[in-house]
Amino acid sequence: MNFEQFQNQSRLYVIGALEPEELEEFEKARKKFGKKAEEFITKCYALHEAFALSLRPAKSSAAIKERLMAMVKAKKEA
Amino acid sequence: MQGIQAGDPDALSQLYDRYNGILKALILRVIHNEAEADDLLQEIFMEIWKQSKNFSAQKGKPLGWMVTLARRRAIDGLRKKQAYARAEERLQNEIEQQPNAWVHNATEDEIMLSDTRTLIRKVISSLPPPQQQAIDLAFFKGMSQREIAAKTNTPLGTVKTRLELGLKKIYDGLKELRDEL
Repeated sequence: MNFEQFQNQSRLYVIGALEPEELEEFEKARKKFGKKAEEFITKCYALHEAFALSLRPAKSSAAIKERLMAMVKAKKEA
Repeated sequence: MQGIQAGDPDALSQLYDRYNGILKALILRVIHNEAEADDLLQEIFMEIWKQSKNFSAQKGKPLGWMVTLARRRAIDGLRKKQAYARAEERLQNEIEQQPNAWVHNATEDEIMLSDTRTLIRKVISSLPPPQQQAIDLAFFKGMSQREIAAKTNTPLGTVKTRLELGLKKIYDGLKELRDEL
């Protein structure tokens, strides 16, 4: 696998779309390309943010935050 | 994130105020159920609180870490719950009624979009609908290439090509945004 092919696979990898047989090859190439590979994979995770930011933000119930903060404070005090 | 890592509840409160809308939208897109999405949102922020020490600024931005975590939890929830069948049915209806939900979102006049969101949507909506659909099913439904091929009655190789081309175009289109994300 050359680096361009690795880049294509990386974008599939970060969204969990590699098939098991591709994953094995991908991990081999990941080791082969080392630091360069890790840096590229990190950049690919920006796709996650982009997909989330492409959606219209949704309103959540105010009670959710109240419950969350109560749970956090209770856990901190425990 | 540093405040949360230091155990400051006010920092979590601020993080919640800033990002709950984005994460809720993501969860809703996966599970299509308002009440379940609210419950999951609460669980995810609790996990963010508990797992904050695992966050490393060197590996990315806080939003990316949270989105990755939220997506995984939402897809896990989708697979575990009996609601999966119902969501599948809703998804099927959506696909039949509007082949591309992203395009639909992008044409809602009433939505005031930030510059970032506008650019992202512009990039995504520039893709051919089959590429958008393949990415939508992979990212928001956690489907494998084989599952997408079966669902859309498309050859596996075509699904792979659609995903690769679509993701590359989005990745390249977002270059100017990458530092902001």
